[in-house]
Amino acid sequence: MTGPRETLVGITDVVKHFAGGGNVLKREKRKVHAVNGVTLAIRQGESFCLVGESGCGKSTLARTVIGLNAPTAGTITYRGQRIDDLTPKAMAPYRRRMQMVFQNPYASLNPRMTVQTILEEPIRFHFPRLSRAEVKAKVEEVMLSVGNDPHWGSRYPHEFSGGQRQRISIARALMVDPEFVVADEPISALDVSIQAQVLNVMMDARDQRDLTYLFITHDLSVVEHFGSRVGVMYLGTVCELAETKALFANPRHPYTQILLAAIPRLDASGFRHTRLAGEVPTAMDLPSGCVFHPRCPHANARCKAEIPALKDQPDGTAIACHGIEEGRI
Amino acid sequence: MALLDVSNLNVEFPTRHGTLHALRDVSFTLDKGERLGIVGESGAGKSLAAFAIINLLSKPGRISGGTITFEGQDLTAMDTDALRSIRGNRISMIFQDPMMTLNPVLTIGTQMVETLQAHRRISHAEAKRIAIAKLREVTIPSPEERFDSYPHELSGGMRQRVVIAIALLTDPSIIIADEPTTALDVTIQAEIMALMLDLCETHDVGLILITHDLGVVSEVTQRVNVMYAGRVIETGSTRDIIDAPKHPYTRGLIAALPQQNEAAQRLNQIPGSMPSLDGIPPGCAFNPRCPHVGERCRREIPALRALGEQQVACHSAEEVAALAGNGGSAS
Ligand SMILES: Nc1ncnc2c1ncn2[C@@H]1O[C@H](COP(=O)(O)OP(=O)(O)O)[C@@H](O)[C@H]1O
Ligand SMILES: Nc1ncnc2c1ncn2[C@@H]1O[C@H](COP(=O)(O)OP(=O)(O)O)[C@@H](O)[C@H]1O
Ligand SMILES: [Mg+2]
Ligand SMILES: [Mg+2]
Repeated sequence: MTGPRETLVGITDVVKHFAGGGNVLKREKRKVHAVNGVTLAIRQGESFCLVGESGCGKSTLARTVIGLNAPTAGTITYRGQRIDDLTPKAMAPYRRRMQMVFQNPYASLNPRMTVQTILEEPIRFHFPRLSRAEVKAKVEEVMLSVGNDPHWGSRYPHEFSGGQRQRISIARALMVDPEFVVADEPISALDVSIQAQVLNVMMDARDQRDLTYLFITHDLSVVEHFGSRVGVMYLGTVCELAETKALFANPRHPYTQILLAAIPRLDASGFRHTRLAGEVPTAMDLPSGCVFHPRCPHANARCKAEIPALKDQPDGTAIACHGIEEGRI
Repeated sequence: MALLDVSNLNVEFPTRHGTLHALRDVSFTLDKGERLGIVGESGAGKSLAAFAIINLLSKPGRISGGTITFEGQDLTAMDTDALRSIRGNRISMIFQDPMMTLNPVLTIGTQMVETLQAHRRISHAEAKRIAIAKLREVTIPSPEERFDSYPHELSGGMRQRVVIAIALLTDPSIIIADEPTTALDVTIQAEIMALMLDLCETHDVGLILITHDLGVVSEVTQRVNVMYAGRVIETGSTRDIIDAPKHPYTRGLIAALPQQNEAAQRLNQIPGSMPSLDGIPPGCAFNPRCPHVGERCRREIPALRALGEQQVACHSAEEVAALAGNGGSAS
């Protein structure tokens, strides 16, 4: 068995490029550098949050981790077993252990299936020996555990509100007793009062089932509340990796600092941000050296030329920044 | 006299299944240079409240009651031509999607010059000079070059800056901004909000900022209307309302924010969800979700009434007010 602090999911030097960006008419095929060498270990029982602005590669990394994308380079392991190169058959048991919840509860549930069918489908696939009665009992148990009425079964997804649908999506993920749940912006499309409901359901499931989460969001106040550790991503790379408390108490990477300062605060103390220079580059024209250098107030010649590695710091965080390494930030 | 005075505004949508009352008795004022927030969940009526002011209601929506007085004139009684001299001129709009404002086949410069010449008799050269000055003011880098750019050549954040520049072209006295940064990343949002704050202050422009984000309301506005199911249910100074909400909905909304809860603990949540227009319960629309619900709440719609410095539409507001400041737990 894996101990509580051991690595459940290992991500090593993962790169994911997509072909076919750029202007089709001009026949220029520029590569999209969505993920550029990410190394992370997600530990058993933790809620690991990936945060960063749109297009920085969060979803791509998540999809690569659970095998929906093959990495261009690098490896993914699950409990020490390499899984990125498995045949679909060999991958099947991992597909049960790793489940995903998506941002858009409107698109992720099949509109032509009843809620009962949506929930039964994964369990019939992964546990074909369960009896009808056992499957029904399981659906009821899981629906109750996410705060849904178990009698919704005969209805269709469009009959439910966004929050209810997202709880149905979570129920579907939980049906097959996963160990690891990847949630990609699961509350971003919901209203504030509904976000709290769904976040509570996810935290309850974590406590009751000893789940490990990879939780993706662009909302830092959710990270602060939900996450045990955080990886901050910028243009396909992780620039800072830290315990949640440490990150919010003492953000180190210049990008993390700017990101935290930009959170609108109830006490109106936010927007203390440094103005960022220039335009936001895209994954199609990655800057040389440190990808953050064009917007960084501390960038120098080395930052423009040399890609900084994610280096472990004495306080347990890891930071990819020449300025910090040289002691000038 | 207030610059803008919206009084008992009602908006309805006739449908095959009867009339939907989308706004009920919405009243608020905006003074010169003041920044007012309108906050609430999706479907609460925030956009309608703003669109009604400048008669941009989508068909078959219509104003079925109330007055909108701007600089002493009732906008609801004005004909289309008269209204056109106000909309986009004295009152400017900024939408969530900059492409609601920008024409994809025209350069930014052409659009800016056209906007100016539609409202003022000035030469092309003069219009261009003003346009470039405005682009510079919203911190667009190399504005002379950007003047000749098409919208698709700019990032989302830059487009929204251009829209702000266009909104400012005619020196309006009010800007209505409907979720102007909701589609943008948090660092871009902070830059644009800081910019808007700055511009409104320097030009003494009034701002009506529609958002679902209480943090943004807190950072930017001086007063706020909280809306729920087509009504303003609480209004007052932003600081008072965020620090000591007196409506159970406002209180629940604030208490549900992760920022207000101890890390890793269950969040305070409001049960249920806001009703749609055809499912509003009798009495107070919030009553099925309310921890303070009483018999009267299921029967009688609470009117907006003064309580201390703010106004609140709740039969139990005194009870809720007494809870203020004891930890923010709503349920
Ligand atoms: N299937 C794909 N084909 C081409 N480009 C893609 C594909 N999926 C994502 N991208 C690009 O990869 C980059 C990272 O995207 P994504 O992982 O969705 O970012 P995030 O989830 O952080 O917003 C973006 O530039 C995006 O446009
Ligand atoms: N054209 C329309 N026909 C019928 N109902 C509408 C129409 N436009 C808006 N509504 C309804 O009016 C209510 C308020 O909408 P809106 O002002 O857009 O909400 P908000 O901006 O607060 O999200 C919603 O319930 C919406 O469904
Ligand atoms: Mg994504
Ligand atoms: Mg709206």
